[in-house]
Amino acid sequence: MPTIEASKKDLEKLIGKKFSAKELDEALMFIKGELDKVEGDVLTIDVKETNRPDLWSAEGIAREIKSRVGLENGVPRFKVGKSNLVVSIEKNVKEVRPYTVAAVVKGIKITEELIKQLVQLQEKVDGTHGRKRKESATGIYDYDKIKGNIRYYGADPRKKKFIPLEYKVEMDLDEILETHPKGKEYAHLLKGKKVYPIFEDSEGNVLSMPPVINSNYSGKITENTKNLFVEVSGFQLETILVGLQVMVMALADRGGKVESVTVLDSNGKKIVTPGFSTEKINLDPDYVRKISDLELTDKQIISLLEKARYNVKTKGKKFEVEYPSYRKDIIHPVDVVEDIIIGYGYNNIEPKKIELNVVGEELPERLFLDKARDVCVGLGLQEVLTFNLTSKEKQTNKILSKEELVEISNPVSSNWEVMRKKLVPELLDFLSKNKHAEYPQRIFEIGTTLAIDAKKEEGVDQSYNLGIAISDPRANFTLAKSILDAVCNNLNIEYSLKEIGVDFLEKGKSGEIKTSKGKGFIGEMDKQALSNFGLSTKTIVIELELVR
Amino acid sequence: MDLKAKIRSLSDIEKKTLKVLSREEKEISEISKESGLNIDSARRAVAWLEQKGFAKVDPVKTIKAGLTKEGKNALSQGLPEQRMLDVLSEKGMNFDDTMKKAKLSHQEFNVALGLNKRKNFVIISKKEKPMLELTGISKGFESEEQKELEKISSGEKPDSKISKELASRGLIEEKEEITRKVSITKEGSSAISSKEFSKERSYNIHEKVPELFIGKKQPYIQFLNNIRKKLVALGFKEMPERLVNQEFYNFDVLFQPQNHPARTWTDTYQLKNPKTGKLPKQERVNAIKHAHEHGGKTISKGWGYNWSDEIAAKLMPTAHGTAADARQMIEGVEYPRKYFVINRCFRPDVLDATHLIEFNQLDGFIVGEGLSFRSLLGVLKDFATEIAGATDVKFFPDYYPFTEPSVQLSAKHPDLGWVEFAGAGIFRPEITESLGIKEPVLAWGMGVDRLAMFKLGIKDIRKLFSDDLTWLRKSKMVID
Repeated sequence: MPTIEASKKDLEKLIGKKFSAKELDEALMFIKGELDKVEGDVLTIDVKETNRPDLWSAEGIAREIKSRVGLENGVPRFKVGKSNLVVSIEKNVKEVRPYTVAAVVKGIKITEELIKQLVQLQEKVDGTHGRKRKESATGIYDYDKIKGNIRYYGADPRKKKFIPLEYKVEMDLDEILETHPKGKEYAHLLKGKKVYPIFEDSEGNVLSMPPVINSNYSGKITENTKNLFVEVSGFQLETILVGLQVMVMALADRGGKVESVTVLDSNGKKIVTPGFSTEKINLDPDYVRKISDLELTDKQIISLLEKARYNVKTKGKKFEVEYPSYRKDIIHPVDVVEDIIIGYGYNNIEPKKIELNVVGEELPERLFLDKARDVCVGLGLQEVLTFNLTSKEKQTNKILSKEELVEISNPVSSNWEVMRKKLVPELLDFLSKNKHAEYPQRIFEIGTTLAIDAKKEEGVDQSYNLGIAISDPRANFTLAKSILDAVCNNLNIEYSLKEIGVDFLEKGKSGEIKTSKGKGFIGEMDKQALSNFGLSTKTIVIELELVR
Repeated sequence: MDLKAKIRSLSDIEKKTLKVLSREEKEISEISKESGLNIDSARRAVAWLEQKGFAKVDPVKTIKAGLTKEGKNALSQGLPEQRMLDVLSEKGMNFDDTMKKAKLSHQEFNVALGLNKRKNFVIISKKEKPMLELTGISKGFESEEQKELEKISSGEKPDSKISKELASRGLIEEKEEITRKVSITKEGSSAISSKEFSKERSYNIHEKVPELFIGKKQPYIQFLNNIRKKLVALGFKEMPERLVNQEFYNFDVLFQPQNHPARTWTDTYQLKNPKTGKLPKQERVNAIKHAHEHGGKTISKGWGYNWSDEIAAKLMPTAHGTAADARQMIEGVEYPRKYFVINRCFRPDVLDATHLIEFNQLDGFIVGEGLSFRSLLGVLKDFATEIAGATDVKFFPDYYPFTEPSVQLSAKHPDLGWVEFAGAGIFRPEITESLGIKEPVLAWGMGVDRLAMFKLGIKDIRKLFSDDLTWLRKSKMVID
């Protein structure tokens, strides 16, 4: 979810209307925005719409709200003049980063707020829409420093040199990736390629090495800059065009005059960008009424659509809805329906009770598990709740086991690197944290455990186990078995015991349990295993699979 | 308290003790023996009687003899003089052999020889070497010293003459001991003879009593059980929870494109072992594949990329409860039906007072005829009032990859104020229509943790999984 910072004054100027705090809250709903913070004039806005980069700047937010409050409507229109600038894509860049699109924006007054918004928009668009610059990356340059036409080509990383942004010395391309902070951050996008992409003017001045870093020569924007060259590079024309349009619209909203650039591809194709084209989708007003369950007339729907920046033509009983091509979030009429309902106002809708002839029910196994809880409570045990995520240390080393565990590939720490296979180690860990509490300590847990099982569709066997631990100098195997009897008798489970050695239980005072529901173990804790958990008080444990 | 009240407050153990004491003063061990009370009860009874002024405890110094290490040794092995007699005969034996056979040290040998000679039990005959011979007097003789050792070790009163000698030989030592003699007071005697004494006991009902720790369900479990009951009452049927899911259920069925940033490793956990699972029936998999690629059976454009079943088969710890919805829709839905699940979910985060890495999510969906966005708002409003006890609700436009339109519900709780309570929407037609469900399906998910924290009266979210036994023992039952 992009978080946008904007000046309230600047926003009001762009919209052409002042807002009270309450009005602002309501207006932000139109862009799925929520005010996160207000610090003086600075608003921090969470924009929940992650598929609409056109909303991720003060200009974009203003553009949408302006129409919603009735100061404009329909698809936003931008005048595009013609520059003579040509960008040629050369063949050897095709395998690294094959496409680019570009535009020129002239006569813009660069202010501090504009630079802030541009940097922010670039960051959000390249980050989210551009998948962290991988799919799409934006470059903005001082147009007046560019001589002649522009080449986009692949350069030898060890031979080609230029001065990267905010640096004073020339470096070769690999050096930049190794030493410049941005170089290091994005090195993974180029490393290992035979050539790296370069934008260069006709006099051999490097503009940038996309998607990593601009040159210090032309890639620096200050309040003295007057005309801008904007380029977006990436792998799919459709994706990078959205990036370019979003950036150019923001500049145009600030009074910039947009001029097109001709992009010549090595395969001979020629495109002129940024083309502000539109697309069309058919919408049945009855579908709008069905989804929303609102009594809307066709006229009302059309008005709501125009306020949401659509153009509408009626075709018989249906509508042909026109929208800007950067609205990649529209792939089904339902996407348009949402815009209509948002325009109507969610809080203007009277919620409707549903009448369905259905009966509720809990899962039978949930009911059974809760009965097992009742039995344990009846035995005077305190239920505890531990995490499934845990450490190998607890689940294997401490209980002297070498079993395979369900393992996470990207754990945050070694404390949470596997999923528990047994409850008992977690109960012992719980006891180790409570040595100061009054004894005897009698606890249980009923919860999930996971074991690797290639036969299952999910690759794991998920079982709900009952774990019991009683720490009491007077406890012994007889007590453990009495408890097991009580649990099994009350839950109508038949069990048998086998004198099989369990690593962490005392020999001769332990055994393996078998029931119709699964397996388990019972016994007195081995002193070594107990001390691995920092415990010394005699402890008996039981674990039993209840539901598999 | 007046005397009568005091007598009435006497417990059984106090009365028994008082009766024993009415005969003569006693030590606590004697009281225990005579009254049949265990030692702890006797001790407690005496303490209470003393407090009430019915009994008096006086420390009395007594001298008590005990065995030294050598004494204990002599008791188990026999006294040196006896051991000497045991190995000798009238034939005679030299000193070295006698020492060896009787296992005597030089010192013990000298003592034993002195004693036995004095009693004329042995004589020394001189041949080449001095030899020891029994005289015959010792036959049938019982050693008084040996008996004395036995007496002392069992705590009986020692014979002063013999014990003196044993003490000088370093076999016993005398210790000063303080014993507590309990005697009945005048008040105590009058209590026994009073009428009140034979009546039933009455308690000081204001006195503190020992704390009992009862068996109890964990508070968060109690809370979730309550939530479950409420959903059942609202007509919802529970779905099974899974802790590990194929990405297919966690993402693909829910129409999240495979290159979506939310699917990268920073936002969700992935499994190292096992790595992949199996996908369901091909026909279902294809329905999802086509929806992603070009919209499938629907009028949607789809996402326009090549869908990979390898990515879909990857395993991950379930990241959100909606995965259970996805699984249910793939397996088939009953119509009409309201579904819910409480699913343990996992997200890479740092565990602190406001974040859990493992939490429960409450999710579900509703299928039936004539459902709409307006009825979704109705469902949400019901949740807010029935589950959270909210007094007011507010709806905000929201975004979820799998619903359109999407809405966030904020509920005004009488104590918490406005709380983001639920996220909901109508499942995208690419999902439902691809799986053969024609009517709009209402999907919802609820964040119940803040409500749980409020109901449990906690500020730190980690307390939901509290590892503090004392806190759990003292926690109150969660009523609703």
